[in-house]
Amino acid sequence: MAELDFVGKSILRKDGPDKVTGRASYTGDIKLPRMLVGRILRSPHPHAKILNIDISQALKLKGVKAVITSEDTLGIKAGFVETPRYPADQYPLAKDRVRYVGEEILAVAATDAYVAEEALSLIRVDYDPLPAVFDPDEAMKEGAPEIHPTHPKVKEPLSNIAGKTQSEWGDVELGFSESDYVREDRFESHLRTHGYLETQITVASYEPGNKLNLWTSSMGPFLKRAKLARLLDLPVSSVRVRKAYVGGAFGGKVDLYSHEFCAALLSMKTGRPVKIEASREEVFTAYRHGQPLIMEVKTGVKKDGTLLAQQIRVINNCGGYRGSGVVVIFLGWGYTMVPYRMANFKYEGYAVYTNNPVRGPQRGHGAPQMRFAVESQLDIIAEELGIDPIEIRLKNARESGEQLPNGDNVHNCGLKECIQSAAEHTQLKEKYGTGRTTASPNGHIRNGIGIGVSSYMSGSLIYPNSSSVSVKMNDDGTATLLTGALDVGQGAETILCQIIAEELKIPFEEIQVIAADTETTPVDIGSWISGNAYVTGNAARMAGTEVRKKLLDLAAEEMEANVKDLVMENKSVWVAGSPDKKISYRKLIGASIQKRRGDPIIGEGHWRTMRDEPFHPSLASTKGRWSENYAFDAQVAEVEVDTETGQVRLLRAVTAHDCGFPINPLLVEGQVDGQVSMALGHALMEEILMKDGHTLNPNWLEYRMPTIHETAKSEHINVITESYEVGRPYRTKEVGEGLVSALLGAIANAIYDATGVRLYSTPFSPEKILYGLGKIGRNQKVS
Amino acid sequence: MDHRKRVIELSINDEPYVLAVEPQQTLLEVLRDSLSLTGTKEGCGTGECGSCTVLLDGKPVLSCLMLAVECVNLDITTIEGVGSIERMAPIQEALLEKGGVQCGFCTPGMVLATTAMLNRNPKPSEGEIKRSLEGHLCRCTGYNKVIEAVEATIEKISDTHE
Repeated sequence: MAELDFVGKSILRKDGPDKVTGRASYTGDIKLPRMLVGRILRSPHPHAKILNIDISQALKLKGVKAVITSEDTLGIKAGFVETPRYPADQYPLAKDRVRYVGEEILAVAATDAYVAEEALSLIRVDYDPLPAVFDPDEAMKEGAPEIHPTHPKVKEPLSNIAGKTQSEWGDVELGFSESDYVREDRFESHLRTHGYLETQITVASYEPGNKLNLWTSSMGPFLKRAKLARLLDLPVSSVRVRKAYVGGAFGGKVDLYSHEFCAALLSMKTGRPVKIEASREEVFTAYRHGQPLIMEVKTGVKKDGTLLAQQIRVINNCGGYRGSGVVVIFLGWGYTMVPYRMANFKYEGYAVYTNNPVRGPQRGHGAPQMRFAVESQLDIIAEELGIDPIEIRLKNARESGEQLPNGDNVHNCGLKECIQSAAEHTQLKEKYGTGRTTASPNGHIRNGIGIGVSSYMSGSLIYPNSSSVSVKMNDDGTATLLTGALDVGQGAETILCQIIAEELKIPFEEIQVIAADTETTPVDIGSWISGNAYVTGNAARMAGTEVRKKLLDLAAEEMEANVKDLVMENKSVWVAGSPDKKISYRKLIGASIQKRRGDPIIGEGHWRTMRDEPFHPSLASTKGRWSENYAFDAQVAEVEVDTETGQVRLLRAVTAHDCGFPINPLLVEGQVDGQVSMALGHALMEEILMKDGHTLNPNWLEYRMPTIHETAKSEHINVITESYEVGRPYRTKEVGEGLVSALLGAIANAIYDATGVRLYSTPFSPEKILYGLGKIGRNQKVS
Repeated sequence: MDHRKRVIELSINDEPYVLAVEPQQTLLEVLRDSLSLTGTKEGCGTGECGSCTVLLDGKPVLSCLMLAVECVNLDITTIEGVGSIERMAPIQEALLEKGGVQCGFCTPGMVLATTAMLNRNPKPSEGEIKRSLEGHLCRCTGYNKVIEAVEATIEKISDTHE
């Protein structure tokens, strides 16, 4: 196989110099002439009728240019999901009723932030508070306060059902009856936030009769454009959303938010640019965080550890509107279906309306929670059967070429190798069990080791479904790449440039990139469905291949040679063996313009995952195909538990992952490390505390994210199952979400290994560990 | 509150600025909004994340918690004064080479904090490195590659000195 010059190399990120020197321009750095500042008034009540809104005093304040309420909108609802079964359920500005603390009621635009804030204080809203419900178990009971009319298709005596997912195969009852051991547990996960450093921020600038321009901190401009155009009843082509640098997203900036709509509408009303920036407190209290799930898992196994049957019931506390709550209950099915063979399976997921803030996608989108439950229970079962945790996983792990129950194929699957190599690298088999059974040399400090497994899809069919990339050659023989992909820090632009550099043998530094502009760049699947490396990458490869072919055809003509004898390198082509007689790309472009009726050499590529499938699978029934590309990983956690204080430290995390192949190993390492840190935070430190719908700790002093003092040694092993070849499609895999997903379970299993305390809920707080050790009572707090 | 503007002189990156500021304006607001020195970032506005770090007479401070009027007669260094694309400071190069940058939002603050630490002590221990960056939140990297970058910078500096 030909050696690769760019793909597979740790090339330094394209946007790096701009970022380290402070030149990179984020949305907040954009300053437009006569720009106004927008602010949003939010509900102080978890559930209330809006009786009256009086904006008259605010309008009298000098410097206030506009106030918009729901009356200024077209009354169109928006939703993360907008399908016939799950129609949009949230107005961009509340109408008549609010359903969570922080819900947007109105927005003002003023000449500066002080005036805008003073204007908010002059607005009077009369509410009639309604009974509210916050706990999903309570919300489902008959007679619970009704937040929305219950989903009409769920014919069960349950209240406040926003959505339901049901799926089964085999015969789960038969499976349980044939099992030697059946285990039933209930797990719970908690509320965590994304922790992006740049808050939510948008600049809108309307040019009357022409364009609504938007710069917004997002994960892809095309979804934002489509939703905004619909809410404002503008033609899609009249809305232009374009790139600014993004200060982190992690799932939290996918959907269209009210502030984006408000900035746009305020700009349309005032004829001036409007910037709306959420404060950090607003991000904590009113924006969408990850999903706290209740997971009831019943599993039946044979004595030898073969999994026979599994029944899962997931309840999602999805907040005042659906958000992505009905997606997570679908994904909960997906993230349990893939890693292990299971002959009989029955799944039920409920998304339940409560008067909490709405939830959205968060890195892993349900997978960390589901894997925590399943991987914890697998260790319980293994111990019960006297099998070690590695053997039970190897016995049930998927293998290459296996078909999944939904018809998907795992193709190349390195899961077993991941499990084995992570275990060997950490000497898990030797260490496992010693923490609990031998006297600790450090007195009250105990060490433990545990493993978790995960699989994540690399792209699925959610709007815009596909990616397209254009490559145009420049007169000097360099290339410019046009992509709709938005680099959110993961390195999207860098890997796409590597692919074009490889296909065209142009030095990486000489590839220019124009990215994420709905007006000038082709459509992109978005940086949220883990499809960038695979879907957009293949589109780029295809565009590169087209240019390559044109260059080679012309060179063959010019040199009177056969294409297959030609060599490309450093912007030149020659016949193999005669590098001294080379022809430069610069000359070939000139020749093309002359001989190909002006063709300056432009290539176009496009890629759609699941090309034979019309839609995403049904969120309700899971029917339909989900993905054609699955990544796999096994993660081992080594922890230290202080049995006096209940404090846990993650000492070391080893990630063995089947990533296909790394397009850029340094960027892949960055993804591994970042996810290890995020999982550490979610497992041991972070929790949004809520009482009656109010956030109690809306800042980083009280919501503790890992600092430089809370780092774990992060090591990784790339399990290579694919390769890159110039001119050929490839199937490399995602690395951005699966690696936050197995570690939670691994840490839980390691804590058990260290202490014998089995934790059924996240986070793994000192209180729970001390309670497990019998040192404090239930719900007793330690300071 | 008395909102009348005061005329002050600031020295930023060795350049003199004369400007009128309101007394309640933070240094961060003045840098970003009045002077378009937007490399300094605001992640929280309440002194918790470190993104807004600048140097005052060589010492790192949170510019979101400083009033601009307090900074008269002090030398202010922002990220724009540390290095350029053509001539990066060693810590900037090292952050790139080691993969210590992803979204980049926390990076300017980290660069300035590290610069101050290395000016004070060119051979800090791992504990000192961590202490000087403990007020800087980074969600992307998990910090390991940031630490590697600082360590590589220390080596690079000591090589050039020896």
